[in-house]
Amino acid sequence: MKLNSRKKKRSRVLQTTRKIGELIVNYFSKAWDVKTQDKPVAWITVFTPVELLYALDVYPIAPEHFGALCSARGTILDYLKEAEKEGYSQDLCSYSRCCLGYALSGLNGPMPAPDMLVTFRNACDVYVKWWQSLHIHLGTPMFIGEAPYVLTYDDLNNYVLDYVVKQLEQLIELTQNKFGVKLDMEKLVNAVNLSDKASELWLQTLKLRRVRPCPLGGRDSASDIFPLVVMQGTEEAVEFYDELLAEVRDRVKRKEGVIEKEEFRLMFDGIWLWHAFDIIKYFEDKGAVFVHEPYSEAWAFRLDSSKPLESIARKVLSMGLNTDIDLRMEKFADTIEDYHIDGAILFSNRSCKSWSAPQLVTAETLNNQLNIPYLMFEGDMADPRQYSEAQVKGRIDAFMEMLSES
Amino acid sequence: MQIQRKMREFSRDPTSLLRRHNDGEAKVVGYMCSGIPEEIIIAAGLQPYRISNIGEHTSSLTPSFICPFASAVLENILRLEDLFQGFIVAHTCDPMWRIFDILKKKVNKPLFFLRVPHNTKNELSFDFMRMEFRRLKMFLERNFVTEINNNSLQSAIELCNHTRDLLRNIYLLNRNNEYKVKASDYFSLVLASAWMSKQEFNALVEASEFGSGKGQGNIRLHVNGTAIYDLNLITVIEDSGGFVVSDDLCTGSRYFWDNVEPSQDPLSALTSRYLTRTPCPAQNPLDDRLRYLSDMVASFNARGVITYAEKFCDPILYDFVHIRNKLASDGIPSLLVDYESPTQEINRIRNRVEAFIETLGD
Ligand code: SF4
Ligand code: SF4
Repeated sequence: MKLNSRKKKRSRVLQTTRKIGELIVNYFSKAWDVKTQDKPVAWITVFTPVELLYALDVYPIAPEHFGALCSARGTILDYLKEAEKEGYSQDLCSYSRCCLGYALSGLNGPMPAPDMLVTFRNACDVYVKWWQSLHIHLGTPMFIGEAPYVLTYDDLNNYVLDYVVKQLEQLIELTQNKFGVKLDMEKLVNAVNLSDKASELWLQTLKLRRVRPCPLGGRDSASDIFPLVVMQGTEEAVEFYDELLAEVRDRVKRKEGVIEKEEFRLMFDGIWLWHAFDIIKYFEDKGAVFVHEPYSEAWAFRLDSSKPLESIARKVLSMGLNTDIDLRMEKFADTIEDYHIDGAILFSNRSCKSWSAPQLVTAETLNNQLNIPYLMFEGDMADPRQYSEAQVKGRIDAFMEMLSES
Repeated sequence: MQIQRKMREFSRDPTSLLRRHNDGEAKVVGYMCSGIPEEIIIAAGLQPYRISNIGEHTSSLTPSFICPFASAVLENILRLEDLFQGFIVAHTCDPMWRIFDILKKKVNKPLFFLRVPHNTKNELSFDFMRMEFRRLKMFLERNFVTEINNNSLQSAIELCNHTRDLLRNIYLLNRNNEYKVKASDYFSLVLASAWMSKQEFNALVEASEFGSGKGQGNIRLHVNGTAIYDLNLITVIEDSGGFVVSDDLCTGSRYFWDNVEPSQDPLSALTSRYLTRTPCPAQNPLDDRLRYLSDMVASFNARGVITYAEKFCDPILYDFVHIRNKLASDGIPSLLVDYESPTQEINRIRNRVEAFIETLGD
């Protein structure tokens, strides 16, 4: 056998990222174990206190995550069509349509039927409408919490915080009464500690993206968030982020970047396009690497286990989209400097009106005050029918050309 | 009737009224949603003014897939900014929430964001909402160097209750199979009440008589939706043989149906009123809204329901599925009509409405 065959080109995705697939499979198979043991499953929106649910022995499942998964695997259309058949407009958030279609077509798939529906209105108001719809179709008990828009940091210590803490207490009471369980404070403290640890590790990892060449790209960050979406408060999540951090540190030490020749460092504003994931690679092939996304950071929040409920309430309140636009823009400005960002890609997502509506003023600020060129394009994060690949790629080409010239 | 003509004039060109306020040196505060307590604005000695989408140009600051109503309202605010002393935005739906973000970057006038609890049935929402009303009161006091006290609040409440009584009494003329007030006249009254000074409005209505005329249509209908300022959407129904007897619009009965109960603590009384008012499509519980709609249809003997939806309006587009199903189980047919620009799409809208009304006719 000839030994001089050409060396394989270095893979750009981290080894640890490759483990996400297995984690997801285990996560869903556990959901079914829980179900067969007659233990409760809750369907949640993603910025709902998962730590609290684990401490109450309620297994959390996030249909938004399921929507992303179906979109990435190309299985979403049947669900979308099922919802549309019932009369849900194509103009509604595709995560919600996917979930409603799944519920309406008999819940045949990886998500076991919910015993409880829990949401906190924080990322969007769609949550309220979506959960009401599920509640009506499935008849499942529902908790709709409210995390008011954080206008100033004072809100994390005043009556706004108090309102959320008290709602968490209501959620505990409701769960206890409904399922005959009792909140184990020790378990809660443990979950909070684990969640905090996972967040700390992820934030440390993200910080390493400031380094040139950037050791972790968009294809990694898009997958690596999974344990922070529905597994905050578990040992597995901490193990994953531990391993990830070690690998990324190692890359930094070896000065190994996501791409061989890093020419441009970009920021991505929006949810990833799960059905057109290769768009990230398209940028990478043009010498551009994603070094920051508000989306990736949104999942991490430091918790204080000496005040578990207060600190969970702060987390529910402070998710990125739920903090005042000036606070968000300040953060943008810092990030652009710290991460040496050359340009911003803003994904105008038809599904996510909450995210997209103020994006034009965001772009204006990026351009006028921060002097950052941007590209904005339209599509849908999960519905492939609302996206024109050729058109978007054409715009990317033009943008990259402009960046090279400047 | 003279007053109706006047009202229709106002609703065609509300800016003339706005200019009149300014000429009379009233300080005008703009707001967009029937969930904003006008009483607190009035108690501060200010003139509340409901900002519409009339003019209908959507703003270039919002993406193409945002509710065109919210976008046009934004455009009107930016266009008419000089005529206002401040703005109040309520957190109802995503577009309204984000319009506040955009305004924060674009206008130089005092701007207030009222965080409205989406779960009105949660007992915790009362205290939270009362705190938000208190914050609004303080915002007005600070920015307009005024004091709002229990007395001024009480008289503002009485004034607004009186407006609501007047509007409700006219509305109720159509109950029990009566055909007394044309909705297109009627809704222009409601709009005028949100634009004029309440004193002037009350006096005008008191001096007029209502209920003498019937429109040409006789198929009794209920109209469901959010805010409708383009009254052509109502006249197409009337021209097609329909008679709108009831509604749950933000520019209709949702605005005036419930009074504020007298109380020693006016801020609490206001909180109760705005928390328990006619269910809003953006809030929870939906079951209450569905029940309310069914009851309204039954008590006004409506034979069908037309749901008007701004394209991309999440609250209505989700609700429509459940409204249709609920009404079907009550034996009431319903129709969804969505649009981006009523002016440009009026023929399509007319065709759909006509066809629906035809199926209801004998
Ligand atoms: S994509 Fe946007 S609208 Fe849809 S559920 Fe997520 S935050 Fe809400
Ligand atoms: S029409 Fe619908 S989406 Fe538009 S502002 Fe009103 S409730 Fe919001």
